[in-house]
This record gives sequence, structure tokens and C-alpha cells, in this order.
Amino acid sequence: MDETLSASAAVPLGEIATVALEAGRLLMEAGASGRFVDENVLKVARGLGAETVDLRIGYASLSVSVGRGAASLTRVRRLGAIGVNQRLDHAVRRLAADVELGRYQLAAVREALEQLVQGNERYPAWLVALAVGTACASFGRLLGVDWAGIGPVWCAATLGQALRMQLHARRVNAFIGATLVALVTAGLSGGAARWTGSATRDTAMIASVLLLVPGVPALNALNDILEGRPTLGSARAVWVAVMLVFATAGVWLAQALVGGGS
Amino acid sequence: MDAGTFLHQTLFGGVAAAGFAVLFNTAPRALPWCAASGALALAVRTLALGAGWSLETASFAAALVLGSAVQTLQARAGVSRNALGVAGCIPMIPGAFAAKAILALVALTTTAPEHAAEVLTAAAQNLLRVTFTIGAIGTGLAIPTLLLRVRVST
Repeated sequence: MDETLSASAAVPLGEIATVALEAGRLLMEAGASGRFVDENVLKVARGLGAETVDLRIGYASLSVSVGRGAASLTRVRRLGAIGVNQRLDHAVRRLAADVELGRYQLAAVREALEQLVQGNERYPAWLVALAVGTACASFGRLLGVDWAGIGPVWCAATLGQALRMQLHARRVNAFIGATLVALVTAGLSGGAARWTGSATRDTAMIASVLLLVPGVPALNALNDILEGRPTLGSARAVWVAVMLVFATAGVWLAQALVGGGS
Repeated sequence: MDAGTFLHQTLFGGVAAAGFAVLFNTAPRALPWCAASGALALAVRTLALGAGWSLETASFAAALVLGSAVQTLQARAGVSRNALGVAGCIPMIPGAFAAKAILALVALTTTAPEHAAEVLTAAAQNLLRVTFTIGAIGTGLAIPTLLLRVRVST
């Protein structure tokens, strides 16, 4: 941390940096691409009175330098697990836009950010599981799974998503969790597809684990590289690749257990 | 391409996008927009594939059309335009090809792999298809955004 000077203006630079980093942390953990994190941290910091703002976005941490006149200050913030939370992402962006327009003072911004986290509404777990099961069944149809295989895909993916949320709540490592979920999900769908007489069992097994494919991080990785943040984009791409390998390991184990070949 | 196939792909593309939008905690009033995004993307991709285009080119065209469409929408759907574009493209992410490629590579590591050359070729084809398709989707989505930003800043 490099703290060189404290300004005498209304809002201390340290407070600006802390609040701006908190907004950036929420956006990163909600699955925003680097550009949006950068833009919104800038809006918050400038809205609170910083004249210069420079943000460095890493995969596991953010650091920001804010300055006013001759004074400048740098702060670093560690990031938690990166997921996807569109409602939180949208709410933070709206708040940042209001802060930029001068509608919020420091204490109000801090309070609003806390409220966004505490008041962030989520769908019930059972609904998420059913929705993911339905999405995977739809993927199955898009990939050519026959109707006999769709029921197994739907059931297995629904149960797989429920298991995934349980593992996440117990803080199981994301990669190990992906292998476990893929093993259970592909095993269930493969076994059930055999029972229903599906002629597309292998594809059904793969369709049921598509809930584990990190599509948003994959697109963010490319966006970050396209928009001049190759380090962040590469880190995301490596995470995506490792996640796919671990998920596929679960499918491979399931194929060994229930058999494949159709 | 028959109308049944087109409607089938469009319908299930929309359902898949909406299902994943729930997983992504998208606001309830934005879910129909996400479904429409997914349906639009799959409709364009299906038409392009039916016209004989490759998967990569068809995915690029679908992402480009979707990216342009969401840029014309006002952010009144309870979700950002960028997020709407991403939600619509999720059904086109080639996760199944990635799984097939890795499974083929695993098969090559056995002590005496059968038809090793064919398996290796299939793995390489699938890996390249994954890479190029994700690149095509990301680029197709990014182009309208980048062009709009250039227009706004000049």
C-alpha cells in the first residue's frame, strides 16, 4: 500500500478508494467484465471527488490509485469467488451512475452498497435447480438428444444443480465440486437414459453436465483480451479451461461406471 | 431447412437462455428478454447453418445480430444490454464439443488406444471448434458495442 498524502478536501482519498474498491469488488464477484468494473469504479471515485483514478484489475484482487491535486493514494482489495449475479451487477451499475451525477454523499454510498449486498434478492434454490434442469434438457434437444433421453437429462441436471449448491454452501473447492457434480449428474442421466431406451445416451450424459460450463467467464475472458486486459482475460481463460477439464473428468468417471457407446 | 426444425431450435434456444438467466439471478422482469435473446440467437444460427455456413460463421452471425439488437434496446428490462447479449449467447457456447474433445484426449492416454489417429483428429477438431466458436461469439457480441462506443466518443 502506498499512501503518500492525505488531502484536506471534503472526502478523504482513503475513503473514496475504499468505497470505489467495494463497488469494484461487487461487480467482479457478480461476473462483470473488466471494462464495466473499470468504468464503474471510475464513476464512483470521480463522483465522490477524486480527480484522477487508475484501476488495476487482477483475478484475485483489485488496486486503485485515486488522486486530487498533489495528493494521491493507492489501496488494494482482495476478491472473493467470482460468480454471476445479474441483479447485483445491475444494481451496482445504477448506483455508480447516480454517484457520478453527484446524487450520493460518501456515507450514503457506503450504506447503499451494504444494502445492495444484504438486500440482494435471489430465486429460491428449488426454482434455480428446476430452471437449470430445464435449460440442460433444452441443450439436450439442441444437441440432438432423443425424447427418451430428455427426461433423464432434466432429472439429472436438476439434482446436479441442487448438489452443486449444497457443495458451494459447504465451501467445497469449485473444481473438485465440478467433478463430483459431473460424476453424479452424468451417471444418473446415463443410467436413466439406458432405462428409458434412449439411443443417444452419450449425448444425454454430456447435455446433463452443461450446467457446469462456465459460459459467462469464457465470454468475459475474450472480452477482456479484446478490450486490452490480456492478463485478466488469460487468467479467466485458464480458470475456464481447468473447470472444463475437471467437469469432463466427472463425465469420464461416469462413463466408466455406467458405460457409454450410444 | 424445414420450419419445424427452425421453430424447434428457436424455442429451445429461448428456454435454455431463460433457464440460465435464472441461474445468473437475472431479475424476473428481464427473463422474457433473455428468452427472446436466446431465441433470436438460435434462430439466426439455425438459418445460417441451414444455408450451409460453418458452425463458427453461423455463431458469429448470430452473436453479431444479437449484439446489434440489444444495443437498440433501452436498459429498461432490469438487466444491462451487455448482460442481455451474454444471456442470449449462452445456448451457443460449445460446451459439448469441449467435453468431447477432452474425453477424446483422455482416451488417447490409455496404454493401447484404438484408432489413435482418428481419435486425435476428432479431439483436435473439437478443440479448434470450441476455440473458434467462442472467439466468434465474443467478437460478434463485441463489435456492435465497440462501434457504438467509438461513435459516442467521436
